[in-house]
Amino acid sequence: MARIACFVEKYNFSDQREALALQNFQRTAEERGHEFKFLFREGIPEIPKYDAVFIRATTDPLYTAYIVSKTAWELGRKVIDDPESIQICGNKIHLYDLFKKHNVPHIPTLFLNKEELHHKRLLEVFEAFGKPIVVKAPYTSFSRYVEKVACETSFRDVAKRFFRKSDVLAVQAFMPTAFDWRVGVLNHEILYVCKYMMPKGRWKHGAKRRGKPTFIWGRTVSLKRENAPARLKEVALKACEVIGHGLYGVDIKEANGNHVVVEVNDNPSIYAGYEDLRSKDLYGKIIAYLAD
Amino acid sequence: MKPTEFLNSSIKDFTLNLNNDYRYLKTGYYVSMHAEVLGNPVIPTSGNIIDAGRTPILLLKASKTGIPTLPYLVTGSIKQIISELGFPVVVFAVNPFSYDGFKIAKNKSALYRTVKSLSMNYKFTVCAQPLKGEMISFKSIFGKCEVDGVISRISERVYEVFKIPICKLHVQRVGDEAYLCGLQPLKMEEIFPSDLEMVSAAISRMSKKGEHLVG
Repeated sequence: MARIACFVEKYNFSDQREALALQNFQRTAEERGHEFKFLFREGIPEIPKYDAVFIRATTDPLYTAYIVSKTAWELGRKVIDDPESIQICGNKIHLYDLFKKHNVPHIPTLFLNKEELHHKRLLEVFEAFGKPIVVKAPYTSFSRYVEKVACETSFRDVAKRFFRKSDVLAVQAFMPTAFDWRVGVLNHEILYVCKYMMPKGRWKHGAKRRGKPTFIWGRTVSLKRENAPARLKEVALKACEVIGHGLYGVDIKEANGNHVVVEVNDNPSIYAGYEDLRSKDLYGKIIAYLAD
Repeated sequence: MKPTEFLNSSIKDFTLNLNNDYRYLKTGYYVSMHAEVLGNPVIPTSGNIIDAGRTPILLLKASKTGIPTLPYLVTGSIKQIISELGFPVVVFAVNPFSYDGFKIAKNKSALYRTVKSLSMNYKFTVCAQPLKGEMISFKSIFGKCEVDGVISRISERVYEVFKIPICKLHVQRVGDEAYLCGLQPLKMEEIFPSDLEMVSAAISRMSKKGEHLVG
């Protein structure tokens, strides 16, 4: 029997589907004879009491979730997401630098540092990728801090905003598609496959409503693992190989028969009725990995 | 070599990354990250940069290697701080925006103000430690500092463990003992010519043929 702590924040229970998925994890663990407790911020000192930690709160090297992950790791506990995966996936510059080194097929990407925000360099970027282009802050998650720009003025505006926090940004070719593949991977094994559809008239899975603070999200269409294209699964596994052997959500675009990685996310969303619809065994596989 | 020049290069060699500010997402961090992706041995490593700047991880790793530390609490709850640590307490921010220093709270109302401010209105957690003596802050250049005795030993040990060449350390002196409390980057204006001499001396000591200095 393993004692598993699931680190969550209050917002993890605000969406009914996410709350239901968390209950599914708890039920699965308990059915298998494990202890599964939700751990909130105030419970951080209790980490040593557990054998494994499963993080569901949003991760970033600057968030509390990283403190939880690293503390568990330093104490020799099994942890999803492990600190190294948070470090790499939480910073897209790190991620694309690794993709370049290991020849992982990915969206054409250039890095732009603060000193390069000048007319000549911006023209070079537009020449390389055409117009529009996508400017991405390294700390992007949930489709935020990724913007499309088509002229130098808006490029400068967006870049200046993102440069407030990070000294380096990613600039990418714009590849509009009706959906992004989302492949869930655990320990070098495909866990689930979905299509994250773009909302009508939008180019990202999550898009802000004009003039409103709320987001609209595209539909999630799930597939059986065995029905997903072989090349898609191969590319997803290759992308995860350069990061580690934890739990990842790989976003992949398919264009002209080619599969290119958009990004790899640690701490991928798992909502009941979406990611798990055709892969009900994902709960058991994650619990088994933690309890092993 | 200038940091931005290094970021666009593919140089494969030992890399000494010299910067006053190694904060996550800043140029100093990206230099170490890029060196690691290239497969270079690098000082400091990107992992150590993150860990040294996150107070609870700094204290956890330091205590594991025998550097004296005090008990700490990562929480967003004021009640928990009062019940487990009491007063006075030293509070460090654990959020993505604050990195400069700590606040001391000697009573309940001061603690409410401190936690509200450092947690950005309770959005993030804070790291609290008991205040048992006096706080001392000083520059540490390759582990060398201008404070003597037990504090100087802490400075050397922190450098041995985290290898952050240039930083500011916060230490608590309690009688004859000293305890590590926090680490933060130095501002450019805090670096004096005498510090640069210490940097030069350290580089000469560790200089190897063919290494690449980025700073």
